[in-house]
Amino acid sequence: MGLSSVLILGLAFATACGGDDGGNPSGDSGQGGGEGQDIELEFWTFVDAHTDFMQARADEFNAQNDEYNIVLDASVADFEEMHDRLLVAMQTGAGAPDIVDIEIQRFATFLRGEVPLHPLTDIVDNHRDQLVEERTAPYRADGVEYGIDYHLGTWVMYYNNEILEEAGVDVDDIVSWDDYIEAGKQVVANTDAWMAPVETTDRFSVIGLMLQNGGGTYDENNELILDSQENIDALQLIADMVHEHEIATVSAGGQVHDEAFYQAMNAGEYASVWMPQWFVTRFWDFMPETEGHILIRPLPEFEPGGFISTMGGGTGTAITKQIDDDKLDAAKQFLEFAKLSYDAQVALWTELGFDPFRNDVYEDEALLEADPWFGGEQVMTNLEGMFDRLAPEYTGPRYPEAILQLRDVVAYDVIEQGADPGEALRKAAEEVRSIDD
Amino acid sequence: METSTLSREERRSRSRPKRPFLHRPPVVAAIFLLPFLVLFGIFRVWAVGYAVVLSFQDIEGVGVSDWTGFDNYRRLLSDSTFFLALRNTALYTLGTLLILIPLPFVLAAVLRSKLVARPVMFRSVFFLPVLTSLVVVGVIFSLLLTTHGLLNSFLGLFGLPQQGWLETRHLAIPAMIIMATWRWTGINIIYFTTGLSNIPNELYESASVDGAGALRKFWYLSVPLSKPIILFVTILTIFGGFQLFVEPLILWGTGGGPGQGGLSVVMHLYRTAFTSFQLGYASAIGVVLALMIIVLSLVVLKLFGFFKKD
Repeated sequence: MGLSSVLILGLAFATACGGDDGGNPSGDSGQGGGEGQDIELEFWTFVDAHTDFMQARADEFNAQNDEYNIVLDASVADFEEMHDRLLVAMQTGAGAPDIVDIEIQRFATFLRGEVPLHPLTDIVDNHRDQLVEERTAPYRADGVEYGIDYHLGTWVMYYNNEILEEAGVDVDDIVSWDDYIEAGKQVVANTDAWMAPVETTDRFSVIGLMLQNGGGTYDENNELILDSQENIDALQLIADMVHEHEIATVSAGGQVHDEAFYQAMNAGEYASVWMPQWFVTRFWDFMPETEGHILIRPLPEFEPGGFISTMGGGTGTAITKQIDDDKLDAAKQFLEFAKLSYDAQVALWTELGFDPFRNDVYEDEALLEADPWFGGEQVMTNLEGMFDRLAPEYTGPRYPEAILQLRDVVAYDVIEQGADPGEALRKAAEEVRSIDD
Repeated sequence: METSTLSREERRSRSRPKRPFLHRPPVVAAIFLLPFLVLFGIFRVWAVGYAVVLSFQDIEGVGVSDWTGFDNYRRLLSDSTFFLALRNTALYTLGTLLILIPLPFVLAAVLRSKLVARPVMFRSVFFLPVLTSLVVVGVIFSLLLTTHGLLNSFLGLFGLPQQGWLETRHLAIPAMIIMATWRWTGINIIYFTTGLSNIPNELYESASVDGAGALRKFWYLSVPLSKPIILFVTILTIFGGFQLFVEPLILWGTGGGPGQGGLSVVMHLYRTAFTSFQLGYASAIGVVLALMIIVLSLVVLKLFGFFKKD
């Protein structure tokens, strides 16, 4: 490669030259059907299902709107590739799409310097009363919203009730983390399963409980709180589950998005796993053996009346500043319709399997249906019951680096190597702070 | 005599029709070279030069840049992640040097000997991984290296315990070396075969007459006479080793591997550039890496006696 930096500039040039979608276009070009003015919007995403979802919304928008006829030119690329190309396009000032999906871990990168995204506060304001307010926080900088998510990502515990019953545990007796640990001891003693898998090469296991305990990466004042006492306590709890109580173990494959984990879960090796609501799609797609056995419950509480859930993952859809001025109004109207309208939020569940973040849709018939996959329960209704005890997640300028520290260093050192949680988190926080020193 | 020669030249030149400008050899050469020169100028010379310029700036966030002199280079000296990545990269390079020079060399020698029937077929089989797409490589190695994968099954045949190749810090580099061995043995066999075929057969015949066996001929003839090609492959392996990126990307995405055990310098550069969007600092990493590769290559050339006058 000669100079490795060529990588950066080569990509910059390739993107600046534009036109080529890197061989990964979905070719999902929408045909407008309405009466209004044709507005072609280029949309980039890294999730196939999002193109179908947005296309369906475009069709509905066109049928209902006389002013504009949205022609969606959607393309899908690999996660890293899409974000890298977007970053380069933003830096070079050319080649960015009109609308784009930016994953929560990468979103903060685009909020540094001159934000190259259009503010969306006005369209969020139109619905703010109906929204679960916490979900707008990750895509906000200086009080301005720049992205709108696809889901709430309510953090829950997925229990394999077949294993719990075999162990003699009633799932609804688990209220606190102490109860969970006691149940775990019963599971380990009476079955061949572990109570829980813990990730060592990804962040979800650790950040979920940190957020639930009122910690996380940033507070609402944009201060880095990676080494806060709440985080240390949450990580200590996980470490104790692994090393002291011996009810949890390193996830097969090192993370729960791995084929090895899916195999292990299918084989009944874990009695539970804590992940956000959108993980239901992984059960449907990759863990068919668990069908009918999984029950969804709140996270056990750290203290009586404390948080029983938080939010995990996320993808904010944004409008870039490279959009033509004459398309901006149409793009905002469309995005508001596609992400924040009542019907769109219902579709988040019916089409994508995600939990909506508009409170009022939880009374909709579609969300009241019992789910045979998950114990025949009204899963969405049960989720709604957690919303008043939901810990918020704030992101800040070094959110990507903080997440890298959690998934690459902290989780591995504490869970696999037995490092002290406080020490590991202090080191990680120091590493992140040193970037700006 | 001279006068008559000149007049002949003069006559010849007058009788030859004058070539159009575009048909003149230097012009033709320039035209054919132009596409390469333009691309090389933009994507190499300009890009590398601009990366050096960027390395003296602080670029964070779109449209934000400040000249900061040598700050990025000073920061590099205290960047523990960079030194961890450098250590991983150096160990990986060392591992590949220890395997990807002797193994393909011996295989090339065996394939050239009369011990193997159908050597061309074997050479093609060894070469196939070089042509395999990275997506396929990813699938193959996820099957091979997972806990219940083929490699652990193979170890099980000898009663050896299962290893978490992709989940254990100290196994990250061996996992990448296994992958590199699979990918690059074939191309190195081709290089060494080319080198070995340049050694005159008479030398082997003379050695046979003197009573040398296959091993002696290999050690005292093939090895020393292949020194130029060994040097070439060594330099290429060092280049490849320090540019380590694809292997960890396939195995762990941009995650750096278990406990950052698979984090390479180029991956650190990539993450600094794109995840952190610190293009100036990333460029400084790139410049330092390039300098390190140049220095190391010069040291190797010196050790091989490349600069000695014959």
